[in-house]
Amino acid sequence: MTEGRASDRLSKTSVSRRTVLMGAGAAAAGLAVGPGFVRYSQAQSSAPIKIGFQAHKTGIGASYGRWYERTTNAAVKLINDAGGINGRPVEIVIEDDGTDPNRGAEVVAKFANQHKCDVVYGTLFSHVVIGSAPMAGELKIPYYVVSEGHHVASTKLNRYVFQPGITDVKSQIQAMAPWIAANAGKKVTQIFPDFAFGYDHRDYLPPALKAQGADVVAQIAIPPTESSFTRYFPQIPADTDVIYHVMVGPAVLTFVKELGEFYGSSRPQLFGFIDSLEAVDINSPGLEFLDGSHFWEGSPRYAQANDSDAQKAYRAAVGIDDSGAAVGDPKDVSTAAHMFGCWETLYVIKKAMEDAGYKGPEDRGKLVEATEALTEFAEGPEHPQGPKTFNGKIHQCFGVQNISKVEGGRLNVVHKTSIEDGVYEPEGDYTAMPL
Amino acid sequence: MSEWLNRKSRLTGLAPRASAAAVALLCTCLPALAHVSDRGFVLLLPTGHYLAGGAIAVAASFAVFALMPANATGALAHRRLVLARRMPRGRTATSLLAFLALAVLVLAGWLGSRDPLSNPLPLVVWTLTWVGLTLVQGIVGNLWWWIDPWYGPWRLLRRLAGDREGRAMLRLPARIGYWPALALFFGFAWFELIDPAPDDPARLATVAAVYYAANLGATLVFGHDEWSRRGECLSAFFRLISRYAPIGVEGEGREARTVLRFPGAGIEAERPLPPSGALFLLLTLASVSFDGLSRTFFWLGANGINPLEFPGRTAMMATNTFGLVVAFAVLSAAYLLAVVAGQSLTRSAVTLRRAGGLFVWSIVPIALAYHFSHYLTVLLVNGQYALVALSDPFSAGWNLFGTAGMQVVTGVTLGAEATWVVWNLQAGAIIGGHVLAVLAAHRIATRLHTQPAQAAMSELPLTILMVAYTVFGLWLLSTPTGA
Repeated sequence: MTEGRASDRLSKTSVSRRTVLMGAGAAAAGLAVGPGFVRYSQAQSSAPIKIGFQAHKTGIGASYGRWYERTTNAAVKLINDAGGINGRPVEIVIEDDGTDPNRGAEVVAKFANQHKCDVVYGTLFSHVVIGSAPMAGELKIPYYVVSEGHHVASTKLNRYVFQPGITDVKSQIQAMAPWIAANAGKKVTQIFPDFAFGYDHRDYLPPALKAQGADVVAQIAIPPTESSFTRYFPQIPADTDVIYHVMVGPAVLTFVKELGEFYGSSRPQLFGFIDSLEAVDINSPGLEFLDGSHFWEGSPRYAQANDSDAQKAYRAAVGIDDSGAAVGDPKDVSTAAHMFGCWETLYVIKKAMEDAGYKGPEDRGKLVEATEALTEFAEGPEHPQGPKTFNGKIHQCFGVQNISKVEGGRLNVVHKTSIEDGVYEPEGDYTAMPL
Repeated sequence: MSEWLNRKSRLTGLAPRASAAAVALLCTCLPALAHVSDRGFVLLLPTGHYLAGGAIAVAASFAVFALMPANATGALAHRRLVLARRMPRGRTATSLLAFLALAVLVLAGWLGSRDPLSNPLPLVVWTLTWVGLTLVQGIVGNLWWWIDPWYGPWRLLRRLAGDREGRAMLRLPARIGYWPALALFFGFAWFELIDPAPDDPARLATVAAVYYAANLGATLVFGHDEWSRRGECLSAFFRLISRYAPIGVEGEGREARTVLRFPGAGIEAERPLPPSGALFLLLTLASVSFDGLSRTFFWLGANGINPLEFPGRTAMMATNTFGLVVAFAVLSAAYLLAVVAGQSLTRSAVTLRRAGGLFVWSIVPIALAYHFSHYLTVLLVNGQYALVALSDPFSAGWNLFGTAGMQVVTGVTLGAEATWVVWNLQAGAIIGGHVLAVLAAHRIATRLHTQPAQAAMSELPLTILMVAYTVFGLWLLSTPTGA
């Protein structure tokens, strides 16, 4: 499916503001006069379920937004081909949030008030989630994010915010510890950017490693504005077994290149999160040093020999080739490690709406409770990344993680964690909050 | 939440750890997922060599032009190949068609897709017109003359009022100069660079409709010729830069000729711009340069913003408004200083107003080169989106031009190889543009000063500014960016 058309095919039935306004007008007229109301009620049974897609179409999230949109369109097409939700077609209403928290909140309000969407969905960047969540809570519109941040599970947002399609970073980090301790080494040095993203790794990894009998021997925080790293490398203790790196931003390639120059052919084990190189060709010049190193991947970028039929069907529907790039545009590498979360979240929304017997915005409370009542998702066409459990108290799912090795110019999955590796004690309970 | 509000304190306190409470809050709000982006590949290129080489090339070009006999460049500058005689006809019709197209696009902005990459309005305004047409105007010729959407409706309305000549109701006083265009362009640049959502189709449609109507009103009052020259900022800008283009109309009435000439030769016959006109041209260059600067780690870091966790345009409005004004002021001051220094070095009798008004024409190739380099990747990718969107402006399932199903290939700008090609095109344009600017300044200096040595001295400070701007332009395209 092509990029522009993909969005248009969906939006032509959904995004047209004219259609939305006409619908709103009809509703208003229906409320004013009895017979009109009956007509609208009848029409409503086949009226579309409107999902407001808070998309990063512009701003720093745009390259992720592109792939979130492709995945969303592919899943919605399948859902509609199979009869929609509760017999009603699904319409995606896109609004660009500019990857901007303030606009994010405006967009949520627009979905609720102007477009009359049933739910809001799809946000990736954490600051946009955090900026938008209060508005979703205030307007009491369910808000399903695909952000991997721990903010939802921390129970510091509100009862209307869910993250059922992708595990959070705390779970991901914790799940890496057993494999690192058993296979890479017991003495770990962490190199991370000196801001919130890096702090999660700084704070969650040491206790998880400790539980496995391994230790973090050094933590090196790199200022976010740094673009040369050689001067930090002497801080890496000589007895380090594993360098755990989670650098992000444009200077990542420079970081890898300089690390390679620092160590030459003899280096400790390297373990990273693919977030550093999401949407970047692993065979890019400067990345040769990563050969033989390991990465966390939410969902594997490269097709694997033992991929399930569901995984194959998912990849074909979204339009990614065996290398994880766009079919027909091999330089356009996907955000495979994260975007599956859009697909799975849409199927969770579908399941919850069906469980709630959802008919319209008046059932949003029921939808929240139905989502909270979900406990597990079986691996299959609706959940191609793998099986998951869902904790309704913290609105967060837990799933398997992949550890992949860079070899032969591709990322090969060498280990899949269990769901239990990433489960932690709940930090609160959203269900205790009023609806 | 206060997370991004606290960014400044976090950035300035990078070495000391934040308090435990702050850390607890921060840790709930992660992944910024800042993308490696193609700037990551540029960082691996030997860009420092390009900066040095560019500076040397531009400086050397000054020496070459200064040593060349004046009549060598002069002969080339005055060569013309006549393509057509008399003023071309049919402008009213093409302009009316352009007006209709604009009306459809504005309607599409209000009624079509809410997605800025599926709705044709933002793509046509920002990518095809602002980015693409600017380059056509400077590199080919004055296409805007044909598709200016005010001309046809203005002619039509004046005829309906019984005025076949298109006379102005009021004369736009000469002393007002280009100030209206300058003020409107500041608004245009502010909307593009600082407004939270210039790509929002409905928002842009409203702005475009109001802008169009207001300027149509002004055109009816002051006449199309005057208002498009000094009032409406896009017409004024497009007209000025088309003077640099190799295809142009020279002469008037029966003497008019459409000619082919060497790039830049069109400014040989131009009169000095008034101070407001010079400032207008400088503002156009400053705004695009500031767009580049405002995304750099340097600018973000200096303003306490973590470039890996960019807080969005709404958080930068005050900072960047200030920055845009300062960028304009600094560039204008540097230009004025260079011209004044040139005047002092030569103890010239030429007035500052005349020298400053003429030398500013040499800024045009720099503006064009930076425009090309800065927007190249946008043009390559969003240009494709525009072709797709134009086939189905209302997202109604149409395929007007057969491009609705076209695959948008973003890979043309992605990865190491594409980045290498793009960087070399950008660097080549920047360096080439500045060499052409030095040549233009040289031609202007020989117009102002009969003695070659005096001419060379008068342009020397400006050449130094151009060498510095070459380095600045290349640095903007090679330094890490985070927004």
